[in-house]
Amino acid sequence: MDITGENNPARTAVIVNIQGFSLHDGPGIRTVVFFKGCPLSCRWCANPETLSAEPQVGFLETLCAGCGGCAAACPNGAIRTGEGDHRVDYARCTGCGVCVEACPDGALVRYGERMTVAEVWDEVRRDRIFYRSSGGGVTASGGEPLLRAGFVRELFELCREGGIDTCIETCGYASREALGEVLSVTDHFLFDLKLIDPARHRAHTGRENGPILENARLLAKSGADVLFRQPVIPGLNDSPDDIEATAAFLSGLGLETPRLELMPYHKLGQSKYRALGIKYPMDELGPDGHERAEQVQKAYLDRGIHCTVSR
Amino acid sequence: MVEIDRQLLERIDALTLGESVRAWKRAMKEAGWKLFADREKWTVESWRETVGMDLELRRALLFRKIVENVEIRIQDYDLLAGRLTPAVIGCATSIDVCGDYIPGIWKDGEELRITMDANVGLDRESVEILRASAREFRGRTAPEMTYKAWEAVVGEWIRDAEAAKLKDPTLDTGIFGQTTSVLMWEKILREGLGGIIREARAHIDDFVEKRGTDIDRLYFWQAAVIVCEGAIRHARRYAALAREMAAAETRPGRREELLRMAEACERVPEHPARTFHEALQSMALVGVCKNYEHPMHNNPQWGRADQYLYPYFIRDVGSGTISLEKASDLLAELIGRWGTQTFVSSESSMESHQINFGINNVMVGGMDVAGRDCSNELSYLLLHVVGLLGLSSPTLGLRWNRGTPDWMMDKAIRTNMATKGGIPLFENDEVVIARFVEDGIPLEEAVEWCGLGCVYPCLPSRAEHYGSEGVAACNLAAMLHLVLHDGVDCNGRRTGIATGDPRDFGSFEELYDALLRQHEFITHRVFWLAAIARKEQAKYMRLPFLSAVGVQSCMDLGQDLLIPDPATSIYGISDRAIIDVADSLMAVKTLVFDSRTLTMAELLEALDGNFEGARGEEIRRLCLAAPKFGNDIEEVDLLARRLSEDSYRIIRAYDNSPFRPYMVAREGLAWHYFGGLGVGALPNGRKAFEPLNDGSLSPMRGADRKGPTAVLRSALTAGFKESHASVLNQKFTASMLRSEESVGKLVAYTNAFMAEGGTHIQYNMVDTDALRDAKAHPEKYPDLVVRIGGFSAYFTQLSPDIQDDVINRSEHSL
Repeated sequence: MDITGENNPARTAVIVNIQGFSLHDGPGIRTVVFFKGCPLSCRWCANPETLSAEPQVGFLETLCAGCGGCAAACPNGAIRTGEGDHRVDYARCTGCGVCVEACPDGALVRYGERMTVAEVWDEVRRDRIFYRSSGGGVTASGGEPLLRAGFVRELFELCREGGIDTCIETCGYASREALGEVLSVTDHFLFDLKLIDPARHRAHTGRENGPILENARLLAKSGADVLFRQPVIPGLNDSPDDIEATAAFLSGLGLETPRLELMPYHKLGQSKYRALGIKYPMDELGPDGHERAEQVQKAYLDRGIHCTVSR
Repeated sequence: MVEIDRQLLERIDALTLGESVRAWKRAMKEAGWKLFADREKWTVESWRETVGMDLELRRALLFRKIVENVEIRIQDYDLLAGRLTPAVIGCATSIDVCGDYIPGIWKDGEELRITMDANVGLDRESVEILRASAREFRGRTAPEMTYKAWEAVVGEWIRDAEAAKLKDPTLDTGIFGQTTSVLMWEKILREGLGGIIREARAHIDDFVEKRGTDIDRLYFWQAAVIVCEGAIRHARRYAALAREMAAAETRPGRREELLRMAEACERVPEHPARTFHEALQSMALVGVCKNYEHPMHNNPQWGRADQYLYPYFIRDVGSGTISLEKASDLLAELIGRWGTQTFVSSESSMESHQINFGINNVMVGGMDVAGRDCSNELSYLLLHVVGLLGLSSPTLGLRWNRGTPDWMMDKAIRTNMATKGGIPLFENDEVVIARFVEDGIPLEEAVEWCGLGCVYPCLPSRAEHYGSEGVAACNLAAMLHLVLHDGVDCNGRRTGIATGDPRDFGSFEELYDALLRQHEFITHRVFWLAAIARKEQAKYMRLPFLSAVGVQSCMDLGQDLLIPDPATSIYGISDRAIIDVADSLMAVKTLVFDSRTLTMAELLEALDGNFEGARGEEIRRLCLAAPKFGNDIEEVDLLARRLSEDSYRIIRAYDNSPFRPYMVAREGLAWHYFGGLGVGALPNGRKAFEPLNDGSLSPMRGADRKGPTAVLRSALTAGFKESHASVLNQKFTASMLRSEESVGKLVAYTNAFMAEGGTHIQYNMVDTDALRDAKAHPEKYPDLVVRIGGFSAYFTQLSPDIQDDVINRSEHSL
């Protein structure tokens, strides 16, 4: 198989990070490949650097010593520095990363690098001994990996050949074809169910949830190993009606015991929003979702859903 | 293999520290260090009484004089008698062994600089006692006289080399004047000191009957009888004191405890221990006597306590002779005591060890001669108890092998998580045993290995001389400094050989070759000095008690363990800073020879200016960006391997001892700080005199950017197969490991690394304090990753309010 990707753009993807020793993204010890680009724009997103599909540059104000080296280096004139002032004009920034190299203080970071399947494979294959001893493997996450379904499929075919377990963490918003492309090479799915109510789903994520629910049904029918996941955003998707709707949806999938993992909302992503010059969309929101998650868990358990809380 | 009682394991999980141990811990927190000079009174008196006698007998009588007269005390929370000093945290002195530990001691009128801490109670009377002892022993201690002998041979080089940290300072990490054997605990418990006395007497009878002429052997056996009798009398003094206190005691519970203590001290260590309580009481008394002979540095090592104590433990707990709670408290008490009774250490020892506790080691698990793992319920209890104590000493080591049961690994990881990590650390049983066997040790002896101090593996059956001849460690980073300066060290002294101006090196291989030649020179000198030290030491010092209760061959041969014996002595050396040097060589290769980004002259100028000159910062960034060990980059990992193999080869080739070849062990848990003090800026980007990498196989701080698994892969490539020990520290944030399923995953992680041949690993849990430090000093923690609920980021890249949030979460998850 040709995996060089040299002449085939489908075989490259923009990767934000390849993170080994991940303990909470599927069974065992895993390496998570974070794809860049997501069709949704959830207001609570903790990893905003994965939203755009193109490489980006982030600016970490607290580390900046104000030397001005970046402004001098930027080929697009996108950075302005001066007394107590440092700004990235994101409209002009192409994410080329020249300024990142020029910064002596690590105040500029590059999010995203275009990689071929071969390059990603070379990284993920290295942890085989840890996958083997822990029952772990590779998880494609993001962003939304199904936006790069062809890439994921090729990567996972290599994993399969190498005896490595595969997992996809998806928001579910993808074409039927994309899902179909990876179905036969994926051992586990972590599938997000954010809101069942269509209007509020659209309001908070920017997209319809129809395709998501349809893909969930398709997955359930296929017999794939699916763990559903739901962020718990207090006041936003944790009302009794929301819980009832989700529980009803899960129960209607025809699974023996639907499994749901709750992900308590937190605001740790704020730093990254600042770094990207994006206003944090959730400022009006209250506390973290941890305590609430335990109450929600109880509600799901009462409705016969095998529900856990991620810590 | 024994059937494990799962219910007992569950009961152990539920144990907390008992009231007596908690009272002791409270007292320890409030107490300051106190120095006791009492021992010195008796050494001086004895020494005067024995003028003209043989050294072995003199040392035996000196020992007996101490243990028969030194002030003893039973604290209100003591269940076991036998403490080195009356104080909660006390230290004793031993000018007769090594006065140099107290700078200023040899010259009247010079200020004494005692380096424990400000609270050490040094009153006028104590100073007088110390001074009197110094006057008596001046010119008669081994370290002092060895330095003189060294200076006669190599002149000022020895002081210069120690100042440049090329080798460990002899008084400290070159643990001078002391061997550190593990005691023959199993035999002591089984036969009692009475049995050892009978054994020595039988040798004496045989000697007389056969009209032996090697009179030194007769002296040794006579000395053995004297010291064992002394130790028994020491126990009787405690028995009498306990009875006296019991008579005056009004609380019935405490009176009962004191009476039981008295009964135990009347029986052990003279007679075999019959119960778990007697076994620990015997150990407490024999251990404290070992320390009286030689109150420095290493406390009695526990060795494989889960093996030799197991029969007493399982029988007594099973029959209800002792409650599980009481058994646990007794263990906690003795483990804690041996971690806190301490020694007076010199300034550089404080620097090199960063602690002032006694170094003590407990080993659990491990294989028997048939290759079966021996973990049992007591191994489990030891993990639990040391975890509960949460002290910096002892070191608790788990002998990992393929047969280590899941319940042991599960407990080991949970104990790591419950503490700040490091309890236990993992050592590869299979690798260590294989190394011993390759060195010609019979398998049945090799499987009995245990840790000494931190992770150094030793054989209880042999006289272990690690560092006792003043060697211990040599510093490859300091050698590299020499190479980069044509043989001149960081103090401007020519301690190395001239290997040429590095600016004239035409290739990387020339540089590498110069380093090996420098290594050969230093190593040769170090072994030369060691030979002198062994000879000098035996002239001035003997350890009859440790010989009698520590090493069977000493008793068999009638020979003190400080008289090196080719058949039974083992020596070790540590070649350190290999990873620092590999990274540095890699940077030079990349920047100067491969890409030619820099000339050697430019690099050296930057190094000599400590990266502060005109191009300093720019060149430092280039150095830091060069490939580093810990990221699974084959070229640099293989360079570390090559260096490791070459260093080993040099050591073995220059080993001029008449003994079994020197064991190479790369331990030293806190040495990196000290070792760095002699090394200028390095091409890996480290600034002058900053600490070197921690541990021998850990990556440069902050240089491992590809996560923990990449570090382990690098370590497996580097191999370090030649070494009996290595140290790899890994940091995890609590948030990463907080879920229940993480336990099993960390077990699998450890198993995978060890099964592939990893030699050692130890985990440090990054706690709240470390996170706060990372917030204040981001440059120290560039690799610290925070992962919470799908969120992943470098800690130092977070804004202060989010950092506070993470710190807050960490506090609540612990």
